[in-house]
Amino acid sequence: MSTLDTTKNHAFLIDMTKCTGCRGCQVACKQWNQLEAEKTVFFSGEGYQNPPAMSEYTYTRIKFRDYQKNGQNEFAFYKEMCMHCNDPACASVCPVGAFKKTAEGPVVYDDKRCIGCRFCMIACPFGVPKYEWSKGLPLVKKCTGCHDRVRGGMKPACATACPTAITYGPRAAMIQEAERRLARYPDRYIHKVYGKEEAGGTSVIYLTSLPFEELGFKKVTMRALPSFTWQALRLVPGIFLTVGGGLSALSWINHRRDRIKALREAEETGTESAEPKEEQQ
Amino acid sequence: MTAARRIATEVRSYHGFIKFLIALVAIGALASLLRFIFGLGATTNLNDTYPWGLWISFDVVTAVPLAAGAFTLGAIVHCFHIKKLEPLVRPAIVTGFLGYSLVSIGLLLDLGQPQRGWHVFRYWNVHSPMFEVSMCVMAYTTVLFLEFLSPVAERFGWHLPLRVLRWLEMPLVVAAAAISTLHQSTLGTFFLIAVDKLHNLWYNPLLPLLFWVSAICSGMSIIILEASACHKWMGQPNEGVLLRTLAKILPWTLGLYIALRVFSLVALSEGPFFDRPGLTISFALEMGIGFILPFFMFVQKSVRDDDRRRSIAAGLVIFGLVLNRFNVSMFGMMDPDKIYYPSLIESLVTIGIIAGHILFFVLIARYFPIFEHHPETVDYTLPDPLRKIGGASPSLSSAD
Ligand code: SF4
Ligand code: SF4
Ligand code: SF4
Repeated sequence: MSTLDTTKNHAFLIDMTKCTGCRGCQVACKQWNQLEAEKTVFFSGEGYQNPPAMSEYTYTRIKFRDYQKNGQNEFAFYKEMCMHCNDPACASVCPVGAFKKTAEGPVVYDDKRCIGCRFCMIACPFGVPKYEWSKGLPLVKKCTGCHDRVRGGMKPACATACPTAITYGPRAAMIQEAERRLARYPDRYIHKVYGKEEAGGTSVIYLTSLPFEELGFKKVTMRALPSFTWQALRLVPGIFLTVGGGLSALSWINHRRDRIKALREAEETGTESAEPKEEQQ
Repeated sequence: MTAARRIATEVRSYHGFIKFLIALVAIGALASLLRFIFGLGATTNLNDTYPWGLWISFDVVTAVPLAAGAFTLGAIVHCFHIKKLEPLVRPAIVTGFLGYSLVSIGLLLDLGQPQRGWHVFRYWNVHSPMFEVSMCVMAYTTVLFLEFLSPVAERFGWHLPLRVLRWLEMPLVVAAAAISTLHQSTLGTFFLIAVDKLHNLWYNPLLPLLFWVSAICSGMSIIILEASACHKWMGQPNEGVLLRTLAKILPWTLGLYIALRVFSLVALSEGPFFDRPGLTISFALEMGIGFILPFFMFVQKSVRDDDRRRSIAAGLVIFGLVLNRFNVSMFGMMDPDKIYYPSLIESLVTIGIIAGHILFFVLIARYFPIFEHHPETVDYTLPDPLRKIGGASPSLSSAD
């Protein structure tokens, strides 16, 4: 992944303190991606949010969280979507390489390749890829980062629709901007740029006023996930050669010892056994 | 018509247990048909929280180490040259071949797009443990098939293939061990990506090594169990003397496993370990009853020499292995609030697969020379147009 030209790598800067909870992004995403509506029930999930979870029909949604601050009831919001990791776990585990990190930033999925093993769902630390459980021959579904738009120079649909909270641009610039805001308004934010280093860095960066765990952010490692499996997998050719070579040598030695023993016995008894005959062939 | 009738009478002569197995396999086949008609979502309890369930946990992650007898024994007999164990090799190969064929079926059932399984050959991703395992499983199934061809060729008196297979025997044994080492360990690598998902009791960087060593333990234990069962129920000779040798190797591998496991837990894992009572119990059962207890049993000569107690100890190792694989791939991955349990159809399919394994083993043992195989008794004397095969001696197998 390191060979990618990252200068074009764009990122979302999502400032949750500026989110009004209008869910314009949610609607824009459904429209652009032609996703079916979901039948939902009020108070079905962890709180007020609808639909209750991301799914094959919902690539992004606004999670609501109410809490108390200084005796006052407050709301916090969190936009849930694919994080478009710099070194994505989904791409590294897919046996047929259906996931790819593009130079523009989005991590895209090629539904023509996918064999449906669902390893990507196990691997993703943010629980993003969803499956078409309703279908006979299901495929994986997730936020595309609107790669089709971004490639053509447009912003993602959700970023375009958002009136206040989402900024989209080069990743380095977005991180700089986030840090500028943290320095400028230290009281408004939790002092953390989420996504700068999480899972090895992501193309979705968050600022918020409520501790990230409280918002339901998953606990993730700072290390890029593919490195965890690669540290074992990179040994594969070596192990193959060592085991193969070692066992071959071992059996050759053992068989040779046998043959020599048989030869010697044959010499001693003076009879011709089958062994030396085998040898001559 | 007559052939059909002959088959019908043949089937009717089977023991009731075999008929029962046939029924289970038929039910399993029917259940898997339903899965293809109605889809995974409708027939399984899988969902976005649990994309992997019983079929991956049992049919793949557990069945693969249970079929490890073939490569373990092959290496012991041919490479480490403990020749007297030779009579155990063929049943082990048949078990391995059946096991892997059924693993492939289980994998196909679980795939969302089984018709695209061949994509693995076309689009390579060497960074994917799944890619590695699917390649190895296919390669190894082929190797096992070739090894299994020997009794088939003997049965039908194909002499030229027999000669070729004989010549291939050693390369195949070495290939089998090398390929198995890779995919047995890579199954452990699968779960290295589940950082922060798999519980601390099982998540550690040594998972691949632990999977490999425990696969070797279970491979030998399965052979002990299988040979004892064949002696008891299929009227085969008692191979107790041979099994004693295996039982002597087992404490070493079990001891190695326990040492590695303790080391990984103490030195490489991060706590908390005992925050979920269910998982703690499961862990204690797995380690205590599944690995440590049989270790202490196999250390004792009296247990190793006693057919019944040796089988019990081997059974405990199998129990430990199965529980370990389930702990890693299912229980340890559980979300405390949302529980997964297999649906009826998932369970029926898995039961069908297990029944199929036993059934095919019994049938193959009935029609092919897998037990009465002693190299010196095979008749190679029929004319061979290229070179005289005759003159094959009792030592042929050891002198290739
Ligand atoms: S968040 Fe998950 S699905 Fe999205 S790129 Fe990262 S690993 Fe892949
Ligand atoms: S489900 Fe599809 S995209 Fe996901 S890892 Fe498997 S083959 Fe790749
Ligand atoms: S980037 Fe596109 S696909 Fe992803 S959440 Fe926004 S609108 Fe939806």
